[in-house]
Amino acid sequence: MTLEQSEYQRLVEIIIELSERYRGDPNAREAILSELRTLYKKIPIYPGIITMLLPKVVQPIEMDKLKEGEETVLVLKDGRMVSGKVAEISPTEIKLAECKQLDISRPAEKVSVRRGDVQEAKLVTRVVLEKEWPTLNFEEE
Amino acid sequence: MPELKLKHGDVAMLEGQLSLEVKGGEVLISGGLHGKGSKVVIPRAKSVPLEVEEDALVTYTLGQDGKVEQLSERTIPREWDALISEIIQRRPKVILVMGNVDVGKSFFTTYLANTMLRHGLRAGAIDSDVGQSDIGPPTTMGLGIFERPVALLYEVPLSSAYFVGSMSPSEHMLEFVVGVKWLVEHGLKKADMAIVNTPGWIFGGPGRSLQLYTLETVDPDIVVALQREEELEHLLSSVPPARVRRLPVSAKVRSRSSAERASLRAMFLGKYFEDAGKLLLDLQKARLKRCYLHTGRPVDVGTLGAQAQVLHAEQMPEGVLVVTKRKMDENAIRELEARFGHVRTITQGSERNVIVGLTNDANELLGIGIIERIDYERGQMAVLTPVKNAGEVAAVQFGSMRIKPDGEEIGTVKQGTF
Repeated sequence: MTLEQSEYQRLVEIIIELSERYRGDPNAREAILSELRTLYKKIPIYPGIITMLLPKVVQPIEMDKLKEGEETVLVLKDGRMVSGKVAEISPTEIKLAECKQLDISRPAEKVSVRRGDVQEAKLVTRVVLEKEWPTLNFEEE
Repeated sequence: MPELKLKHGDVAMLEGQLSLEVKGGEVLISGGLHGKGSKVVIPRAKSVPLEVEEDALVTYTLGQDGKVEQLSERTIPREWDALISEIIQRRPKVILVMGNVDVGKSFFTTYLANTMLRHGLRAGAIDSDVGQSDIGPPTTMGLGIFERPVALLYEVPLSSAYFVGSMSPSEHMLEFVVGVKWLVEHGLKKADMAIVNTPGWIFGGPGRSLQLYTLETVDPDIVVALQREEELEHLLSSVPPARVRRLPVSAKVRSRSSAERASLRAMFLGKYFEDAGKLLLDLQKARLKRCYLHTGRPVDVGTLGAQAQVLHAEQMPEGVLVVTKRKMDENAIRELEARFGHVRTITQGSERNVIVGLTNDANELLGIGIIERIDYERGQMAVLTPVKNAGEVAAVQFGSMRIKPDGEEIGTVKQGTF
């Protein structure tokens, strides 16, 4: 049980933790990644400070406490995700500006996609350690 | 000018900005003996205790926030004096002072060294707090030899310094540990004992590592643990119990905010560069250290294709290092990757404002500098520095901060690049 000599390990753990916490919320993930990119660019020599700041990027808030001009991510009951800046807030409505809207993907057994509808395809390799560096692919205890 | 008649045993707290003159008698300021004619200046945001050794008369002038507060009792805990008596008797060679931030480690170091001086022992103080360096400019660790009493640690003249290259030991652990050892060895050549004042980074894996590997490297005879409660016990469990001396924190220790620390750093750096001039270094003569540049075999830039606009290239065991006029585009990088494997790129101009250490052949720090520019084609580096003689500079050590000549911190540098 040796000591960590840098904050690298904790930084990776916090990225994984946040990525899991916001698994179904691409807007929140995007905000976190965007801040991570900015922080790393500005203070690459202080990974401990990046680790401390990253969980502060997206935090739960009661709707009543949102103020005009603040950036927010809203998860709607119908599964839609909306993000943007609060333009106007009333007891019944929140109006957003500069917003993005996403439909959350629902799990499905099978999906058929017409080739003509595809703009780009990417290959995903899930067991990359086993394939690329098999000597380090230790059995999990 | 206000004056104060003091009796033996009286205690006062001097808070800067303040200047004081001893008109008669003898007083101890931070443990250092000051007699008739002695003058002391305490800057803003600093405070030190005055204890009257022999009935005394002092005059003083107060500046912004300055104050002289007479106290009913000493601020120095009795345990400190008991330990200091032991040190005078045993004369250990290396003493390491450990503690969290704002527990008064610098003050204890000053108090101990001043008291040693009163007993005819010369102490070398090593200030390893790179962000809040009292001895030597920020980004360095300094060794100061106590030749005369001082009120504050920063008044001790710098004897030797070691360049760490950052305001924090984070990601600079090797420089830190090597530097402390180097300064202790130098200190012991010039003084009867070395007192190592360590940074307050004591928690977490890296903090623990920093303290424990420093302990292993320095191997102190006595570890002074300044703690409010038991915040150092996790580190002290690794130290032979006979070497540990636990001390309470002195009353009236003042804590500083991170903004206050940054402003003090900027003030010290700005002052350091006040008399700086431009020094032109020939990179064929001065070695470059702690960087990839000039560690490989030169590559003829004409063979790399015009698209990349390469000014300088060298092949290293890890791949190729290229310096370009403008940021390289992805296609040009891929072409080089196909030929050399890994490609490390530096864009001309990205070296601007990076802090560097300038050393002589004996690896002694001559001073720190700020890079103005590197002419990669001519092999020259222009540095703003108080160091005057380019011929003395045998090596340039790269740091990982960007600084403006007025001391303002304007960025950090990803290690491995600029």
